[in-house]
Amino acid sequence: MTSPSPDWGRSTEFDDFAAPVAIVGVGESEHSNASGRTAVEIGLSAIEAAIADAGLKPSEVDGLMASPGVGAQVGVEDFHAHFGTSHDIWVSHQGGGMVWAATAPYHAAKALRDGRAKNIVNVFSVAWATERDSMTGGPGKFHAQEQCKASLELPFGWFPQPVYFSSIARRHMHEYGTRPEQLGAIAVSARRHANGHPGAVMHHKKLSLETYLSKPMLVDPLRVEDCCLISDGGAAFIMTTLERARDLEKRPIQATGVGEGHAGSGAFWSQQGDFTATPQVFSAPDAFEMAGIAPKDVDILTLYDPFTIVALMQIEDMGFCKKGEGGAFVEGHNLDFDGGVLPYNTHGGMLSHAYVLGIAHVVEVVRQLRGEASNQVKDAKIGVYGGYTGHMASTLVLRSDA
Amino acid sequence: MKTEFPLPNFEFELTRGFWEAAQRESLVIPRCSSCSHWNWYPEDKCTQCGGEALPWTEVSGRGTLFTYTHVTRALFKEYRSKAPYLTGLVALDEDPRVRVATLFVDCETSDLELDMPLEVTFRKLSFPDVEGEVIAPMWRIAGG
Repeated sequence: MTSPSPDWGRSTEFDDFAAPVAIVGVGESEHSNASGRTAVEIGLSAIEAAIADAGLKPSEVDGLMASPGVGAQVGVEDFHAHFGTSHDIWVSHQGGGMVWAATAPYHAAKALRDGRAKNIVNVFSVAWATERDSMTGGPGKFHAQEQCKASLELPFGWFPQPVYFSSIARRHMHEYGTRPEQLGAIAVSARRHANGHPGAVMHHKKLSLETYLSKPMLVDPLRVEDCCLISDGGAAFIMTTLERARDLEKRPIQATGVGEGHAGSGAFWSQQGDFTATPQVFSAPDAFEMAGIAPKDVDILTLYDPFTIVALMQIEDMGFCKKGEGGAFVEGHNLDFDGGVLPYNTHGGMLSHAYVLGIAHVVEVVRQLRGEASNQVKDAKIGVYGGYTGHMASTLVLRSDA
Repeated sequence: MKTEFPLPNFEFELTRGFWEAAQRESLVIPRCSSCSHWNWYPEDKCTQCGGEALPWTEVSGRGTLFTYTHVTRALFKEYRSKAPYLTGLVALDEDPRVRVATLFVDCETSDLELDMPLEVTFRKLSFPDVEGEVIAPMWRIAGG
């Protein structure tokens, strides 16, 4: 590494993958606004699609990864009830969406090496659009329950996430001269990609930079267009050893690098040592080193994008440009799938595809590397997913098997 | 003191000192007796030296504008009566790593520039249909 790590966080120490591991099946549920479905129903439909994509039978899937901390997720009993199966299933809570969508293959590799499972599905789903309408849940709930936030931030209206991230955006603008049209470029590219992706919630809604700039501020300096959707939806992907993967229908997509970073300030955005950075500074360099690549080798990037500013900061923190130069880097059409410098969130991301917390981002990278994406990046060989949850970030490097 | 969300919870041990002092119009932050480090947010032990004595210590009430946002439409229902409002973080002069969340008062968005000097002012805070009223540390432009 060229410079010493900053002191406001740390990296998780990962060895290399325990076994060569590949993603062999991907699937998504329908993504929508409030649908009345439960998260478990949504998750099962995504698993069903992923199993079909892999050309496996439900009884051959003997590993299930999910993150039970984020709402109700598919469990073994749900799996068996849905598919009419009864076989033993290894379960791990080191999977799911958000940051765990990136690190799931690392933990799956260990289970594959140790013979705990042969085909492992990682799933994540939410019904937050439905739950928000009935006021029973949603992304703000986790933060309001944190007592220090409830006592020191909520009384002053510094809540929820759009307020945190507009505050971060303003500081980024102050420190680095980042401009509204640069944040807008991220939203416009994502929307253009959603327009080309039939599964995207915003498939039929266009957004030009002119329109973006004409929209009112929601939490100045962020507009509604800078903020992610709230959706019902989910996705799943199936992993197995690279060796077994080569016997299956689809081209194996191998996981070659993984990283994970933590901010020392935990979930308190307000107190993060470097307020305008993400823990990607602790994650991406490790993942790229493990994969033996440099940022310039990346053909397609998907990033957990709750807000445009979060994508911008991660692009800087992962080393695609220097810190503070993200605004200039993303400007114009630089993130477009066709001719951009760095094809980014080519499915539309959480801003325009669906807010399913990163799991669909991994699915999109896999489709790009197989050559079957809706907005196909020409000759995409190396793809990266950057996960984020505020106090954590993660990085997954995937490459198509030659 | 009996208060309801989104007013502060006076039963919550870690932040009770902050709010009790605010009722006397005093701004306090926990400071380590051993190494003098300002610990924010409050912790059981000093994050620098592990010291267990962290008395609430009064600060000058001077700081700089670290960041702010203008909320045009409240994003949670208790705050609807306040919108539009100016909220954000102040970096304290004693140690700019200590950032306090606050409401900015007696100013407009166009008056604010990041890093400008601010001073604390104590104001009543209450919400329609929410039990209780507290005195809360808010911030305004210094010398204004």
